[in-house]
Amino acid sequence: MNQNEPAISLTGIGKHYGDFEALKPTSLDIMPGEFFGFLGPNGAGKTTMIRIITGIIIPTCGSVRISGHDVAKDPDAAKRRIGYIPDRPYLYEKLTPLEYFEFVAGLYTLTDDLWKQRSEELLKLFKLWEWRNELIESFSHGMKQKVAMCSAFLHDPDIIIVDEPMVGLDPKSVRLVKDIFKEQVKKGKTIFLTTHTLSVAQDLCSRIGIINRGSVIALGTLEALRIQSGSDTSDLESVFLKLTEEEAEEAMSHHPTPA
Amino acid sequence: MNPNSLLFPTYRAFVQSVRKRGARFAALLAGGGVFTAFIIYFALYKFLAYVSKAPMLGAVIGPMIGGLLVSKLLEMLYLALFIMIVFSSVIAAFSSFYLDDEIRLLMSSPIPSARIFWSRFVLMVGESSWMAAAFFLPVFLAFATAAQAPLWAYLIYPLYIFFFLLAPNLVGGLLALSLATLFPIRQMRKVFQFLSVMVLAAMVFFFRYMEPEKLLNPSYFGSVSNYILNLQNPLTKIGPSAWMHTATRTLFEGDPLVSLRQLLPLLTLLGIGLFIMHVLARSFYRRSWQISLEAVENQVLGLEWLRRVLIIPLRFASPEFRVIGQKEITVFFRDPAIFSQIFMMAAIIFVYGYNLTILPLKDLPSLYSGEINDTMVYFNGPFIGFIMAAVAMRFVYPSISMEGRAFWAVKASPVPASRLLQVKFILYLVPMMALGLLLCFISNRIFAVTTSYLFLISFLNVFMMSIVITGLAIGLGTVFARFDADNPLKISGSFGGFVFMISCALYVMNLLVLEAYPMFRMYFYRYYPIAGTGSRLLILLSFVLLIFCSALWTIVPLMRARDTIERYEPE
Repeated sequence: MNQNEPAISLTGIGKHYGDFEALKPTSLDIMPGEFFGFLGPNGAGKTTMIRIITGIIIPTCGSVRISGHDVAKDPDAAKRRIGYIPDRPYLYEKLTPLEYFEFVAGLYTLTDDLWKQRSEELLKLFKLWEWRNELIESFSHGMKQKVAMCSAFLHDPDIIIVDEPMVGLDPKSVRLVKDIFKEQVKKGKTIFLTTHTLSVAQDLCSRIGIINRGSVIALGTLEALRIQSGSDTSDLESVFLKLTEEEAEEAMSHHPTPA
Repeated sequence: MNPNSLLFPTYRAFVQSVRKRGARFAALLAGGGVFTAFIIYFALYKFLAYVSKAPMLGAVIGPMIGGLLVSKLLEMLYLALFIMIVFSSVIAAFSSFYLDDEIRLLMSSPIPSARIFWSRFVLMVGESSWMAAAFFLPVFLAFATAAQAPLWAYLIYPLYIFFFLLAPNLVGGLLALSLATLFPIRQMRKVFQFLSVMVLAAMVFFFRYMEPEKLLNPSYFGSVSNYILNLQNPLTKIGPSAWMHTATRTLFEGDPLVSLRQLLPLLTLLGIGLFIMHVLARSFYRRSWQISLEAVENQVLGLEWLRRVLIIPLRFASPEFRVIGQKEITVFFRDPAIFSQIFMMAAIIFVYGYNLTILPLKDLPSLYSGEINDTMVYFNGPFIGFIMAAVAMRFVYPSISMEGRAFWAVKASPVPASRLLQVKFILYLVPMMALGLLLCFISNRIFAVTTSYLFLISFLNVFMMSIVITGLAIGLGTVFARFDADNPLKISGSFGGFVFMISCALYVMNLLVLEAYPMFRMYFYRYYPIAGTGSRLLILLSFVLLIFCSALWTIVPLMRARDTIERYEPE
């Protein structure tokens, strides 16, 4: 991967649903090796953004480049570089984890030896090895989330896109996942993460973007955000609340609620 | 709260889905539906009007025997429809009463369980019967027209049909409720093993009891009077189909009061059935729902060996083809609801095969048997097409919907929508074509086809039909995909499934029309050999058009499907 080229480059991407503007035109570059946190209140446009980056949904305007490959024009090359962990781990319930990994490996054209070796490593890492031959339908939410994570790491992607990774995980698993993410970034991988657990973002992310009502309202390191918000503390929660509340007040002043 | 308010979400979902697709689409669909219904109605009416006169038997005896034959056919249809809906309503009841996701929410609410039950029952009746009602309505109206029923009878007759369709639903609902009290419903295999034996026994009894082959051949009966007496004997003396048949006949004759009196046993039975169901629902619905939550048995092991055998050939395919194929086969064999579907399809094929074997072809005068057998080959095509469409509707049409909410994994992967559709198309085309060719081969053997040209045409028909039907099933199954549906029956019984069946019917008509000229030439060729460039050119043109139309029928839905997947936004 070219270290001077952004791992993820968004140029003016936006998304409309009829008259509703879910995501206003946004441009953003994320460099290789960066751990980027994307925060925002419910319905702010985080998941829309993530799905556009992964090529799951098509933006109304703008373009996305993954390591220089346009997601719309060269989806094959772009998607091969991404591992996606969705917010809700919907999986093929009638498959076992190993069968599911074989399925995913086939979609990414991994060799038999490679996916088998990677599956074993990942299942052992996520403490799922003894469940490898059980149907996914019998798993708890947390176990399914771990299977989804394993499948995202299976093809050893350069970029990992994570939507709310900690939902449904027990504290031990949260610690494990955090350690795995840190390890990945050390190896030079790029992580784009959205979360409502602000402490996770504060612990892990080197740069943070805050989105509200479809617009990126703040972008930078935690310190830069603190300065922007005028907050006295370096606590991300205070910074986040201050920024989103200010933005909401500003929006209200432009569009007052009818009496 | 009344049961109707519990139906409100379903009603709103339906309205939303129609609105989403736009008025033009709804108008196009309604137009297509009415057109197909009219074709069925008109063609059947003409056929019945001809049979009811039976001109070959003379001016006196012809109408007498013809009228009885038409009446007998209606009685058989009622009985067949009754059995069919009993079975489909049991399957729909399992899903509607116990397996649907929203039942947990309803059961946790303060709504009395009997009210929940009745709202689920209404949904179940709609799910199990709407398609049969839509297909059979023009059929029954054709009988009314052929019987020269008065105009007011057309207003009352749909009500009769409604009451008649309610009866098998009551039987199915009661059966499902009773079975669910005895077995944990998620252990479907046991339930369906029981049901399979029951339905198979019913079908064998049904056909042996009717002996329809005898009706086509008066020589079985020793004398014409015996034959007439046999036609006059009802298939069953009591029962919903017998009451419905008698009441309908009287209604068509223009005597509403007597007709209503004849329908009274059916209405009384419905009243008693509804009362029993209400009592059972109050006493057992909540308890049986609790039982239905019992742990799922390990269903992986049952057919694991077959799954392993079927995925062996995929080892030689490309990685994405192999894994998509493996996943389809694995999910198919591990879905407990699939057993009921397989059984239902086997029953249809059994009925088809049985009907072929009892055709009195050997009794036909030898001078005509060749031509009649050859003509049968031409008309057998649509029957094989119908079976393939029915099989495709149950197994191929739900294929994309069954990806369910896990479809994000495919959308996020480098595999493009076109490749996914291509893999699914090829994967399902193989068994579909094998089934079609097998049915064609067996029927050709039974008809003892004398002309090699016709033999080839029959295989060409099946070849074309299997490609188009598979393409339509994958294509329309994607365009009308329901990723939120929890079982294949719900998907194939949906609005899109109906569109698929209409599309298949239209394609088969298209095929028959384009083949009519070449077949006409072939039918008479031994007397009037094809001569002149004009005829040859017309035959060639017919086949070129046939290939062109078939390609359009396959490619257009698949292209629409590709666009749908590209635009689809998973939850």
